[in-house]
Amino acid sequence: MAKRIAVDPITRIEGHLRIEAEVEGGKITNAWSSSTAFRGIETILKGRDPRDAHHFTQRFCGVCTTVHSMASIRAVEDALNIQIPDNARLIRNLIMGMQGVQDHVIHFYHLHALDWVDITSALQADPAKTSQIAQSISEWPMSSTDYFRQIQARVKAFAETGNLGPFQNAYWGHSAYKLTPEVNLIGLAHYLEALEIQKEIIKVHAILGSKNPHPQTFLVGGMAIPIDPNSQNAINADKIAYIRKLLGKARTFVEQVYIPDLLAVAPAYLDWAGIGGGVGNYLSYGDFPMDNSPGTGSLFFPRGIIMGRDLANLMEMDETKITEYVTHSWYNYSKGDDKGLHPYQGETNDNYTGPRPPFEFLNTDDKYSWVKSPRYLDQPMEVGPLARVLVAYAAGVPEVKAAVDKVLKQLDAPASALFSTLGRTAARGIDALLLAQKNDVWLDQLIDNMDRGILDVHNGEKWDPASWPKEARGFGYHEAPRGALGHWIRIEDQKIANYQAVVPSTWNAGPRDAHGQMGPYEASLIDTPIADPEKPVEILRTIHSFDPCLACAVH
Amino acid sequence: MLEIHYVWEWPVRIVHWINALCIVLLSITGIYIAHPFTVGSGTGFYLMGWMRFIHFTAGYLFLLAVISRFIWMLIGNHHASWKAFFPWITPKGRENFVKMFRYYTFTGSKISHESGHNPVAATAYLGIIMLYVLQVLSGFALYGQAAPGGFWDSTLGWVFLLIDNQNLRLGHHLVMWLLIGFFINHIYSAWLMDVKQRNGTISGIFSGFRYVDPDEQ
Amino acid sequence: MKTNQPLSPAVIPEHVLERVEARGINRRDFIKLCTATTAALALPISFVPRVAQALEDNRLPVIWLEFQSCSGDSEAFLRANQPTAATLILDLISLEYAEVVMAAAGHLAEEAKHQAMEKHRGQYLLVVEGSIPTKNDGGYCTVAGQSALESVRQAADGAAAVIAVGTCATFGGIPAAAPNPSGAISVKDAVPGATVVNLPGCPLNAVNLTSTIVHFLTFGELPATDRLGRPLFAYGKRIHDNCERRGHFDAGQYAESFGDAGHRDGHCLYKLGCKGPETFHNCPTVRYNEGVSWPVMAGHGCIGCSEPSFWDTMSPFYRRLPKVPGFGIEDTADKIGIGLAAATAAAFAVHGVASAFRKHDPKEDSKVVKEE
Ligand code: HEM
Ligand code: HEM
Ligand code: NFV
Ligand code: SF4
Ligand code: SF4
Ligand code: F3S
Ligand SMILES: [Mg+2]
Repeated sequence: MAKRIAVDPITRIEGHLRIEAEVEGGKITNAWSSSTAFRGIETILKGRDPRDAHHFTQRFCGVCTTVHSMASIRAVEDALNIQIPDNARLIRNLIMGMQGVQDHVIHFYHLHALDWVDITSALQADPAKTSQIAQSISEWPMSSTDYFRQIQARVKAFAETGNLGPFQNAYWGHSAYKLTPEVNLIGLAHYLEALEIQKEIIKVHAILGSKNPHPQTFLVGGMAIPIDPNSQNAINADKIAYIRKLLGKARTFVEQVYIPDLLAVAPAYLDWAGIGGGVGNYLSYGDFPMDNSPGTGSLFFPRGIIMGRDLANLMEMDETKITEYVTHSWYNYSKGDDKGLHPYQGETNDNYTGPRPPFEFLNTDDKYSWVKSPRYLDQPMEVGPLARVLVAYAAGVPEVKAAVDKVLKQLDAPASALFSTLGRTAARGIDALLLAQKNDVWLDQLIDNMDRGILDVHNGEKWDPASWPKEARGFGYHEAPRGALGHWIRIEDQKIANYQAVVPSTWNAGPRDAHGQMGPYEASLIDTPIADPEKPVEILRTIHSFDPCLACAVH
Repeated sequence: MLEIHYVWEWPVRIVHWINALCIVLLSITGIYIAHPFTVGSGTGFYLMGWMRFIHFTAGYLFLLAVISRFIWMLIGNHHASWKAFFPWITPKGRENFVKMFRYYTFTGSKISHESGHNPVAATAYLGIIMLYVLQVLSGFALYGQAAPGGFWDSTLGWVFLLIDNQNLRLGHHLVMWLLIGFFINHIYSAWLMDVKQRNGTISGIFSGFRYVDPDEQ
Repeated sequence: MKTNQPLSPAVIPEHVLERVEARGINRRDFIKLCTATTAALALPISFVPRVAQALEDNRLPVIWLEFQSCSGDSEAFLRANQPTAATLILDLISLEYAEVVMAAAGHLAEEAKHQAMEKHRGQYLLVVEGSIPTKNDGGYCTVAGQSALESVRQAADGAAAVIAVGTCATFGGIPAAAPNPSGAISVKDAVPGATVVNLPGCPLNAVNLTSTIVHFLTFGELPATDRLGRPLFAYGKRIHDNCERRGHFDAGQYAESFGDAGHRDGHCLYKLGCKGPETFHNCPTVRYNEGVSWPVMAGHGCIGCSEPSFWDTMSPFYRRLPKVPGFGIEDTADKIGIGLAAATAAAFAVHGVASAFRKHDPKEDSKVVKEE
């Protein structure tokens, strides 16, 4: 007889995620993914000035801050067909690129690591041996015996206060933790270092965007931060130098800490290359234009679709094939809840029919989540770094192919190992590495423009709403850290007539659709081994491998 | 026979003209505050600074004038009295109000001949005086925001619990246009009465004297 | 007044420094922290020992609850610099519950919360991020099957003080923007009885949170606030009155469009819709991300993110004034005003002509008698 469990809250993610599952014979036999919070920002946007939309949508999420501003201004620019200046493209790439790196670093060390690293065991580690291992896997300077002894001492002192703060009540000592005390100590040290690094490297957003979270220089038609080598109030040599320094910091950390740690931890958990595969369909909108030509030709990460894990057969992505279902979501559609709607026709009519709180379990036969269920050609799709990297891999993008093959070789695993919990986590590291390296290229291009006296950052031709058509509609895409992000806007009489966002975590966290097909989280949990239903660390591993963001998913 | 009446005592006239002056100044500077034009860079001339300075100084003068008028409503003659702004409280006032109203709207030809405001004008003035008060309140409330904890903030800060400062500014802005609208109307009707009543309406606000028909009283 | 006397570690008693070091904290860092915090709170240097004492005492239990939020304020907290999130979590506070970072999950996480609420009843600090929905008995936001309203009331009940972080928690923020689809309310409205200090901002500036916490540690009470419950040390002045571009405002030098000469030269952003004149916040003085920048410095106007219902009252963000209710996006107060004035003028012109031609009141001519 199956045992029903609920994990709520799923912590170390953004937002309010609840997983319900049935466990039988030490395995998950059925699973439901639900978000339990709604704000209704799509509804709030109706009737407002389209140029204001990005400020609102950016507040979908403060973790992947910037991404919804990007998608929003691109949607408006698509609707009004505005061509942005090349400098705007580069500033945007730099902001997006650093977002990807910093978001992934935080995810790996602060949101995901504790699923694999047992920090209590780190207190038993031998600092000398730890130092040896550290130096054998990387040239990262902070690796002396003293250093690790210090870290250990500090954490011991912390533990001896008898007050573990955010680390109490975790699954420490669980049989699923497989690392040696020494590797655990390295993980712990880098957990603390990453906490420092993330706030440093993100200063790129402060320089180019005024602050982080929620940079404020996004603008329909370009960017609001001026460029002028001869002004102290614009991007000038001094700011360029500062950015360069921070890009270097980020790149070094990813190359010398993140990737080596990933490769040091993975071997102990290779069984997870066979767990958590999920739906096996992957979607990427592609992103990071390498030049300012219109269209998607110059995207560093190409656009495409992979169905049924068939890397040999990369397909065109056609935005019109996307629909959203609310059959099991707390909304209703004016034309019935069993029909999928394309975002241009999308509706957000909240209709909570769940149990009256406090409750123990959701009624999962009925509606059970605030997340809608997006489908492509009626199929559930996984999005994220894995999808992004797989599409680029299948398209044969040299840098991506090289990076992926290198990692696969080191772990000597076949490409099929990527369709898994471990594959997702590895792909995220590769994604971070590629972006950390590309950032320098975009900065070079920006300097080159400045050198040639090209300073414009904003195309104001269509700034005045009087210059707009009576009706217009546009699609804004972005490859956010967590995957394919789309915003669809309809403008009428200079106002927003309809605004719909289909977000990476909407794709991944969505509930079942009208045909009963599971969403990616749900599908990936099936057959996951559960050693102790009271301490389902295995659920956290697979769910965290998606890097969930529910504020994004529901908005 | 017409008698010459001393209708507008000097305080009423002074206040009247100070108000008129302030409103012109406040509107001009206010419009600049709302829509400043850019002066080339490098100038040491603080254009917006001066505009705001004039605005606030005129604001204080305006405040004083309005207050004095309120005081005079209590101690001045019956034309200046606050009662003069509520003509319709007396039966005769109501009758004259209808008379004047029908005259202005071409539905009647009779004019009420009184020495003070004609009832319709008086009613309009009541409205204007309300607008004065609104502008002073909103103006000094906004003014107080520059110095939290200061006199105006402590006196008028409560305003922001009723309305946010953006919409207060909007209101302050719109009331200006109502005053400008009144200005046009007002000068026109003053002229109209002057020629129709032949009673020195206009000169009256300068000199204070008006020609009055005793048997109309 | 000997304000700028050199700060020597001697100010902090040796035994304090020793105990701190025993906890694995570097003494220089600790001294830096104490002096910086003292400065942040605008306290005289003589307060450094007192601040040190407070910081060195047992870690203050903190429970951080998230409801209708985007976690931007949690992220802002992770960007904290003086002190850093690491120092805060390991040395200054005991973060008993915070979904974004805590290791425990599910019922074990909830258990940790309830234990902390019992153990530290009356002593813990409750930090709340995000607004609280009231629609459908709370079905619009639940954690562990409990409604946001229920859990915030429960947690506030045993708290020494409540800090609402971010504009959602302080004033309803974006979920409460028209038409407020979920019936979102602020913490203050959700827990009328509680003493709540409001730290708005979208997100809040981490400096203002750390300073408030340290103020509480130092004086055992919350800092003095304005009418809206915002600490004066952070919200006591308008952006506009501290802005580095104020000189250009007074001089009448404005950026007319993004990227123009004025914009590149750092002229005032008033005409591009800057809401600095309507916004109380310390952005220009403390800035963000360790003082690197703030919106106006980067070239985009302030959108008023620390003011109540700014999503409705400060928008459209690229115009100075709100649109007049019932009129289109482009109808400004002035178009309407000029129209009104013109209409009046026209009306009276017509009226004037008509009056000129109307036949005289028979009484009149007989009545005019010249006087000597
Ligand atoms: C902004 C400009 C003006 C405003 C706001 C204004 C307002 C007022 C007010 C409130 C009164 C009532 C007097 C009282 O009892 O306090 C009044 C009376 C009067 N004003 Fe003005 N005034 C303005 C300009 C003028 C001008 C330019 C003229 C002359 C052409 C004028 C002629 C009069 C006359 C004749 C009266 C007496 C009306 C009567 O007896 O019914 N006003 N004005
Ligand atoms: C007839 C009376 C007045 C008129 C027509 C007037 C007009 C205006 C206008 C059009 C604005 C610009 C509003 C905007 O677009 O933001 C303004 C702003 C302002 N007015 Fe007045 N005003 C009047 C009286 C006053 C008074 C009595 C005060 C009190 C000191 C005052 C204080 C202010 C302040 C503080 C501002 C905002 C200035 C700034 O933020 O730089 N006003 N006024
Ligand atoms: N899912 C999601 Fe986001 C991301 N990356 C949004 O587009 O996290 Ni907050
Ligand atoms: S106040 Fe802003 S940053 Fe904070 S939760 Fe709300 S939207 Fe996010
Ligand atoms: S930029 Fe904004 S805050 Fe600064 S002076 Fe101009 S209007 Fe005021
Ligand atoms: S938008 Fe917010 S961050 Fe500061 S400058 Fe304005 S208050
Ligand atoms: Mg949506």
